[in-house]
Amino acid sequence: MKELRFRIILIVGAIALCLYLLYPTYKDYQNTKAVTAQVEGLQPSIKKNNPSLTNAQIKDIIASKKDSILTNNPDYRSAREKRMKLGLDLQGGMYLVMEVNTAKLLEKLARDPDDQFKQILKSSEAESKDSDENVVSILERKMKQQGIRMSRYFGSIREDDAVITSKLLQQESDAVTRAIEIISNRVNQYGVSEPSIQKQGSRRIVIELPGIAREEEAKRLLQGSALLEFKLVKDAAFAIPIMNQIDQALAGKAGKDSASAKNDVASKTDTTKKDQKLTAEQFAKEHPFFAVARLLDSQGRIADAYVKESDKSKINAFLENPEVKKVVPDNIEFIYDQRPEKDPSGEKYFRMYMVNKEASLTGGVIVDAQSNIDPSTSAPVVNMQMNTEGSRDWAQITGSNINKRCAIVLDGVVYSAPNIIGKIPSGNSQITGSANLEEAKLLEIVLKAGALPAPIDILDQRTVGPSLGQDSISKGLNSTWIGYLVVAIFMIFYYKKAGTFASFALIVTILLLIGVLAGFGATLTLPGIAGIVLTMGVAVDANVIIYERIREELSSGKTVKAAVDSGFKLSFAPIFDSNITSFFTGLILYQFGSGPIQGFALTLMIGLVTSLFAQLVVVRVIFDFMVVKGYKINVG
Amino acid sequence: MRLFENLNINFMSKRSIFYVVSATILLLGFISIFVKGVEFGIDFKGGSEIALQFEKPVVIEKIRAEIDKLGIGNVEVKTFGGTTGILLRTELQELPKQVLPKVRSKIENVISNVYPGIEKRITDSSSTSITYSFPDPAAATVLNNRLFEAGFNSAKVSDEVTNTAVSVRLGIADLIKDNLSEKFKDNSFTVLKEDRVGPKVGKELKRDAVLSVLLSLVVILIYLGFRFKFTFAFGAVIALFHDVLITLGIFTILYGLIPGFNLEISVSVVAAFLTLVGYSINDTVIVFDRVREQMKIHKTLSVEENMNHAINKTMSRTIITVFTVLLTIVALLIFGGEVLRGFAFALFIGMITGTYSSVFIASAFVLEYSNRAHKKIEF
Repeated sequence: MKELRFRIILIVGAIALCLYLLYPTYKDYQNTKAVTAQVEGLQPSIKKNNPSLTNAQIKDIIASKKDSILTNNPDYRSAREKRMKLGLDLQGGMYLVMEVNTAKLLEKLARDPDDQFKQILKSSEAESKDSDENVVSILERKMKQQGIRMSRYFGSIREDDAVITSKLLQQESDAVTRAIEIISNRVNQYGVSEPSIQKQGSRRIVIELPGIAREEEAKRLLQGSALLEFKLVKDAAFAIPIMNQIDQALAGKAGKDSASAKNDVASKTDTTKKDQKLTAEQFAKEHPFFAVARLLDSQGRIADAYVKESDKSKINAFLENPEVKKVVPDNIEFIYDQRPEKDPSGEKYFRMYMVNKEASLTGGVIVDAQSNIDPSTSAPVVNMQMNTEGSRDWAQITGSNINKRCAIVLDGVVYSAPNIIGKIPSGNSQITGSANLEEAKLLEIVLKAGALPAPIDILDQRTVGPSLGQDSISKGLNSTWIGYLVVAIFMIFYYKKAGTFASFALIVTILLLIGVLAGFGATLTLPGIAGIVLTMGVAVDANVIIYERIREELSSGKTVKAAVDSGFKLSFAPIFDSNITSFFTGLILYQFGSGPIQGFALTLMIGLVTSLFAQLVVVRVIFDFMVVKGYKINVG
Repeated sequence: MRLFENLNINFMSKRSIFYVVSATILLLGFISIFVKGVEFGIDFKGGSEIALQFEKPVVIEKIRAEIDKLGIGNVEVKTFGGTTGILLRTELQELPKQVLPKVRSKIENVISNVYPGIEKRITDSSSTSITYSFPDPAAATVLNNRLFEAGFNSAKVSDEVTNTAVSVRLGIADLIKDNLSEKFKDNSFTVLKEDRVGPKVGKELKRDAVLSVLLSLVVILIYLGFRFKFTFAFGAVIALFHDVLITLGIFTILYGLIPGFNLEISVSVVAAFLTLVGYSINDTVIVFDRVREQMKIHKTLSVEENMNHAINKTMSRTIITVFTVLLTIVALLIFGGEVLRGFAFALFIGMITGTYSSVFIASAFVLEYSNRAHKKIEF
């Protein structure tokens, strides 16, 4: 009995660990059910309030409400983050493969492209479609054949072809980074939950956008070029009184307190002091705006405020309020920083700026931007050059706004808001204040996005509707339990008592398999479910091999204990050999496939390992236990 | 209950019968591959595929007739799932030239509905997109939105405030969907899935698929070469090759013969090929393991006798192991739905041929080799 103890503890521990890993998935399922019921209940009232909405639009609203509750409510969020993720084929969504169009990029980069250049470029592009060679290297080769130096169109005259080629390749890779930045920026703004944007190889981007409710928007956010703008940030003397007025208007005292609302920074600091005595609840009631938009500086020297991620929608609702609209001038707007800051509890806060609605300048004027380390201060800086027209405007803007901040805004999100130190007459500006070179590099990408859009082609676009996904889930689950049932019934019928052990071990196999999947944060796809079903069929193979061997050993006259021993011992080598070869093909399949197929390969491989554990360890323990206790063993 | 107890069949003496059987099926498969060709899915060919779910049952001929009227050439129309599901597939990457004017007039209709008589210039036109330029940025913004609402894939060329150009992406799938929703107004549909695959991805995928199947065979060859004699490994891989080819052959033979069964070679079918390579080796390993054991114990017996003995002894487990896997595959085939059907079918065929080949091809190859080499294999 003692020798079994360690193994029993091991088995129980493994099962307990898997149950623990699966708990968030179960919890999230329960939460989703509760939230769905709650949100569906809103349907009649939405319909009543907005009779013009079509059913499909209402469905969209409900779906996005549900989504935002599940991802933002802290009670639900932790379960959601740790749950087993469903692939696009099960939850619906869009899968895209994009590639940067290098030919178009080269055409943009070329200096005075003539017809000859265009012709060479065109033929290079055509050739690249049938080969793995990069357009840049094909172009270089073709130019060489015609005796034209690359420096005629790119770089400077002193550089040789190899240098220019490597620079162009760098440009290409920059364009991919830029495209990724632009896309992630937009995707984040649209609030697609759990998007995945990855670089594949040197020029490709793979994008996964779950949730079909926003398919039209999703399509839209991948099109067109990015908009880079420079917007002046309002200073505190202007912004804080307006914020005060918003606050008052929301608290319902717009009329009464117009006198105090007129007051400036001082009154604000005053209220905050007084409000310290108020409880959070009272404060929220009296100052609905400041309860959500927490001022960065309690002295009121800067008008930036921090807004919790989940409160962004509240701010939007506030600004839609007719009372608030009365007090907010039309020429300003609130925009957020691109990067959230986290407080110790992991809650995300976004910095909110009040800026001029109208852009002072758009990014089309930027000619180039580079991030660097300033040799004298060794701080990261970004240098930016503008064209003549832009430089003229820029000189005027900077000249009249010294010591004010200018926000660099890409597609409506602030990437940086540097202070204007002095008038910049030449159009060559230097932006300091990036925390590290990485941040400076990001700013460089953003600044270039205005000047050099990244032309991208969609190579592969797959959309799965939510109804097909739902259908696939139920079909997958059906085949899983039916598959289990037929295999278990057969095993019990054919091997009697030993068959029940195998059927039990099969449950352990599947439990461990999905536990490990959830633990790794793997994504469950429909082929993945198929992998689970197949695993059940293959897992019992080990039992069959062992049981057949035990039967053979028994019929050759061995004792039960000896037969069990040699049955397990002699079966180990073939079981191991066949599983390891299957594992190899699983690995290759994982390399070959994408998305759903990888999910299949992963379940297959994990299934092989967990089934070996269940069939060799769990079943063995049961057998040994029976032998020790002297129970009769029946292998059919 | 026991199956095949005390089985004693001289399998190896009948091996020429199995050669003929395998050769016949392989030959039929090859003929079918050369005559009918391997039908690839759009994963490999590139093109567009849309699955639509109508509210009410639809007559497939009616849809086909409507699609034919579009004049975009060969579009496959099939049922998908039940009677309300339709699968449309075309290999075309871009709209044919003769349809372009029709689509263009549709776009221009929308434009002139919003701003009658507005001045518009076509600044760029290709078979995949068309770009219009308008006199002022405000009009461009409005028209962009209207076109998008009307179902066109429109976008502003740039987001600068001064932008006056709007481009419209032209896709076959959009045209088909647009047309069907117009023609079947009383029976609306939702899009179940929509795939558009460019030709480049397909080409790469084809190469990767062949490479990964070959790679998995090489890996198995090397591993089994270490664990057994090299002859055995070679026999096992020949058997696997045989399994993949027969499954491929049966796929092409049956393609189009079973209604409602989409048997083209898709990525998931290739995944099934790789899986069956991994699984069908299992039976072979079981048999070989027993052959090795027999050879160690009965050194005096001939290779043929040892093999027969091993095959007979392991027959019941060979049959039962493949049977349990087939049970689950049949569950997938019946209950797994349209998406998994081709995958499950490939595995179904593959597992059966895999079991057959592990006995009759893999072992027979080793025997042939040892007979020809006049050398006794020893462990």
